[in-house]
Amino acid sequence: MTAAVLTLNSVVKRYGAFEAVRDLSFSVAKGEIFGFLGPNGAGKTTTLRMILDIIPPTSGRIEVLGSPTAGAVRRRIGYLPEERGVYRKMKAAETIAYFAQLRGVDGRSARKRADALLERFGLAAFARSKNEALSKGMAQKVQLLATIAHQPDLLILDEPFSGLDPINQQTLEELILELKAEGRTIIFSTHVMQHAERLCDRFLILAGGQKRFEGKLEDARTGFPTRLVIRTADPVDPLVSAQGVLAVRRTPEHPPGDPTYEIMLAPNADPQRVLRAAFDAGMRLSRFEQSMASLHDIFVAMAGESAREDKAA
Amino acid sequence: MRSSFLIAWREYRQYVFSRGFLIFMVMFPVGVLVGGAAVSFVERARPVREFVVFDQTGMYAPIIDESLADRRALELLGAWNAYLEGAIDRTQVDPANIAEPFGAGEVTLARSAAFEAAGGAAAGMEIVRPLLRRGAPDFTAPRASFRRLELPTEAAEAPSTAAAADALRPYLLGEIRLPGGGELFAAILIPADFGVSADGPPAEYWSRNLTDPALEVAVSRALDSAMRRTAAADYGIAPETLDALADVSAPLEAFRPDRGAADAKLSTQDRIRTAVLPAVMTYMLLVIIFAVGNLLLTNTIEERSNKIIEVLLSSVTADQLMFGKLLGIAAVGLTMPTVFLVGAGLVALGGSLGGGVAQEAVIALLTSHLIPVYLFYFFAAYVIFAMIFLAIGAVSNSLQDAQSYMGPVMLLVFAPLPFMVMVFQNPNGLVASILTWIPIYTPYAVMMRAAANPPLWEILGATCLMLAFAIFLARIMGRIFKRAILSSSPPRAKEIWRLMRAEEA
Repeated sequence: MTAAVLTLNSVVKRYGAFEAVRDLSFSVAKGEIFGFLGPNGAGKTTTLRMILDIIPPTSGRIEVLGSPTAGAVRRRIGYLPEERGVYRKMKAAETIAYFAQLRGVDGRSARKRADALLERFGLAAFARSKNEALSKGMAQKVQLLATIAHQPDLLILDEPFSGLDPINQQTLEELILELKAEGRTIIFSTHVMQHAERLCDRFLILAGGQKRFEGKLEDARTGFPTRLVIRTADPVDPLVSAQGVLAVRRTPEHPPGDPTYEIMLAPNADPQRVLRAAFDAGMRLSRFEQSMASLHDIFVAMAGESAREDKAA
Repeated sequence: MRSSFLIAWREYRQYVFSRGFLIFMVMFPVGVLVGGAAVSFVERARPVREFVVFDQTGMYAPIIDESLADRRALELLGAWNAYLEGAIDRTQVDPANIAEPFGAGEVTLARSAAFEAAGGAAAGMEIVRPLLRRGAPDFTAPRASFRRLELPTEAAEAPSTAAAADALRPYLLGEIRLPGGGELFAAILIPADFGVSADGPPAEYWSRNLTDPALEVAVSRALDSAMRRTAAADYGIAPETLDALADVSAPLEAFRPDRGAADAKLSTQDRIRTAVLPAVMTYMLLVIIFAVGNLLLTNTIEERSNKIIEVLLSSVTADQLMFGKLLGIAAVGLTMPTVFLVGAGLVALGGSLGGGVAQEAVIALLTSHLIPVYLFYFFAAYVIFAMIFLAIGAVSNSLQDAQSYMGPVMLLVFAPLPFMVMVFQNPNGLVASILTWIPIYTPYAVMMRAAANPPLWEILGATCLMLAFAIFLARIMGRIFKRAILSSSPPRAKEIWRLMRAEEA
């Protein structure tokens, strides 16, 4: 692994008796896109705020860009919070330049960068418009540009896709990949698993303030059963007793036609044996497909498990 | 530090370069000039009040005429004095040192008579013209305020004051115009046995206008004077002697014991410096602190509710943010009195409003220690109250949330107001001392006492106490700001105490 840009060691954050983050440790390597996933109230925003040194941890150690605190390297970090806002009376270009200046860029360069970014993202015509005159999507874009205008080494984006239309979501995905190509490290949190699945090199699932998983998608999948999807008009009873089959359940048909079934296999079970068992039973199949667990499945399973644990406690 | 200045500059620009503030900055001096011109215009345009006298005694109408003529003469002399104060080039001569009877001096009937005997304003202009400052206009005599008209026939022939009142009523109500075309402003009715005995019938003053008492007062004085003359005659005093006595005024000059003999005499500037300026500046301090505190409050609530605060705090520390905001809004607070001062300076230079007095006030301000005192105590009061407003902003999601905290704060800010009158009257009295030692009121009390030479130990002690309190308050309120600014919902009242306590992780 390349040198870590961010390392958290046994980080805890308590608010009175409530433990928002419990013994959290993970690291993010330079140049990777790191997904920070978790249901609402999982402790994501609290963790991001501790990383940014906006709030101190109760205990534990956080190292950012080689510094024991983000305060010292604030100018090398860009942060887009989940709840966004801009000064309503400020102009778009001014907003971008202002935040770039706050992060150490000199006035002239900040203004140039603001104009260049607005030009590149199709907002040049609105550079001198007040933020209150912009649409919600445009204002969000302005804030995103304000986050990257100082060319940070580490970008932390909290729910960056929320509120954007599909076209702007696509533009943002492209921007994130572009920033990665430039060698920047990106951490983003999201509820939309498709984005995380498409973009992240690695990810972390946080639930109930605790780490549930950290690693690559393939690693997460190893703990999950392989799935087979078949479509047939014949009875599927012969498959229930086939070697390696854990369960068979009927799924809703889309589109309507022959019934569709989902077959859960034991780890390391051979799907070919299931296929052979189907042929041996004389079943006629119109579909036979092996699918891996999606990030969505993994997320729901892990977050759901945490919710059950919390309920039981 | 650079980040704090950037934040301060943004805050400053947001308010001072806003359309409203720029309009205010332009309009304030213009407003003062227009206001001054309007006062002068209203003065010039005021109609001459026309009145009639129904005098059954036959002796009081001439007395009223004579009294009003004296009043007019004194009015002219007063206007001449004011003209000299504003128009004379003081580098050449002091208006009081111009040769009599044309110099600025006492306004008495004797001087007025001498002034008129020497040729009046026309002759005076010839004397003073070489002494005028450049561009000064010639003297214009104010218009006469009153004119007595002949009674309409039907009133003149009335057998009694009641009948005269009935005859004059249509004129007073404007239903019938006077022969000259004017509207009758008032009628004075004097019954035949007026002044004969102490319990005799009174003279009557009839007018539809109840808001301008000038004529009523003038007539009353004329009648008073006439009756005194009659009474004086009973004591064997000639009326001329009585007039001479009325002009007698004891010369009294005020001196300050804390100055050397050469400059101990109290001047107009001294009076402005010791009485007017401290009161005006204290009031200004109170109003400005409250105004800029409100700016800070609304601005913090905006950043909190707009969720800008989180981005700001990822770019700068909470301390830098707080300092920047305080600095920017303080600069807004200082811009306001600067505009007032510039406006006053323009008026003084132009000499268009009150001429000499405005000029004297600006000179008194610029030559006193009041500006540095104001600046110091402005910052002290600002730190105390701004930190409170900042903390309220940090625990409020909306102005409605802030209202519950604002009530007690407003009470605190304005509580010393009723006592300030007592401090004004007795700047080194007990109330002044008590207020001086209450840290949140020290700035106002010291400002009010600034020109009254309060005991130095008291001012130094109270100021040290105030500074210690300001530092303590800044720390406590700073903690509330830093801890509450990011919370999504406003903390409950009992949680505020937890926020105030020492730093915790």
